[in-house]
Amino acid sequence: MEFLEALEQSGLARSLKASFVIYPVVNALHVLSIGMVLTSVMLIDFRMLGGFQAIDRQSFIALLRRVALTGFCGALLTGFAMFSIRATEYAAMPVFLAKMGLIVLAALNFLVFVSLQEGVSSPNLLRASAALSLVLWLGVLLCGRFIGFL
Amino acid sequence: MSWTNGYGLRGGAAILGLIALASAPAFAHHGWSWTEDGFFELKGVIAEIYIGNPHATLDVDAEGEIWRVELAPPSRTIAAGFTEAVAKKGDEVTAIGNRSKDETEKRMKAVRIIVGGKTYDVYPDRVPSN
Repeated sequence: MEFLEALEQSGLARSLKASFVIYPVVNALHVLSIGMVLTSVMLIDFRMLGGFQAIDRQSFIALLRRVALTGFCGALLTGFAMFSIRATEYAAMPVFLAKMGLIVLAALNFLVFVSLQEGVSSPNLLRASAALSLVLWLGVLLCGRFIGFL
Repeated sequence: MSWTNGYGLRGGAAILGLIALASAPAFAHHGWSWTEDGFFELKGVIAEIYIGNPHATLDVDAEGEIWRVELAPPSRTIAAGFTEAVAKKGDEVTAIGNRSKDETEKRMKAVRIIVGGKTYDVYPDRVPSN
């Protein structure tokens, strides 16, 4: 709690709190980052579930994974910046905690997916991981949007 | 492949639908859909004041109960003249606006704030005609 209160008093939080311009810009960059993550993750998942068979899987996934990871870093930075303004408020919101929990699960699922791909594993496991990824990331999106409405 | 393309995706969509349905009644501070139509007046003492992004809020102590009073985004709130310079913790305040449809929720969205005998219309187009 002390850390969260200190975060609210940080220079970053104070400048974002009062700014008419920076906050909406950071917010827009967060939306852009989320768009990158969701689009690329869903395309990877659809490819794993049997879509776009004509496109080479390896290079398709390699490209989209770069987009997804770049977007995730962007979302993390911009999200942290917006969180810092009212850190104690957000940290007490169940929907915010649900979003963070889903991100952790999605990250673990990603690690499982990567380890599966590198080994010789059942295609059903890969598909199950892809389906779970879709559900988790859409859940993250939904929880994130609800933060503004609760 | 058939189970993932069929039931897997459909199941996921169903779960998301359920999450959306379960959360729907809790719609809050964006817009006015969560508030009652009639005006509501809250009198109390400012317990906490926040003027900033994404929107300003007041916590008001009304007879020992803490109410969350939602205001406008900071640009609009400050344009109405309501800043941290005109109100502080401990000041008596009257908030006029619309309370949550959920009776158990001590939350309202204010269109007008009265502090220290001065009136601040944060949503001038929505204030009650008097």
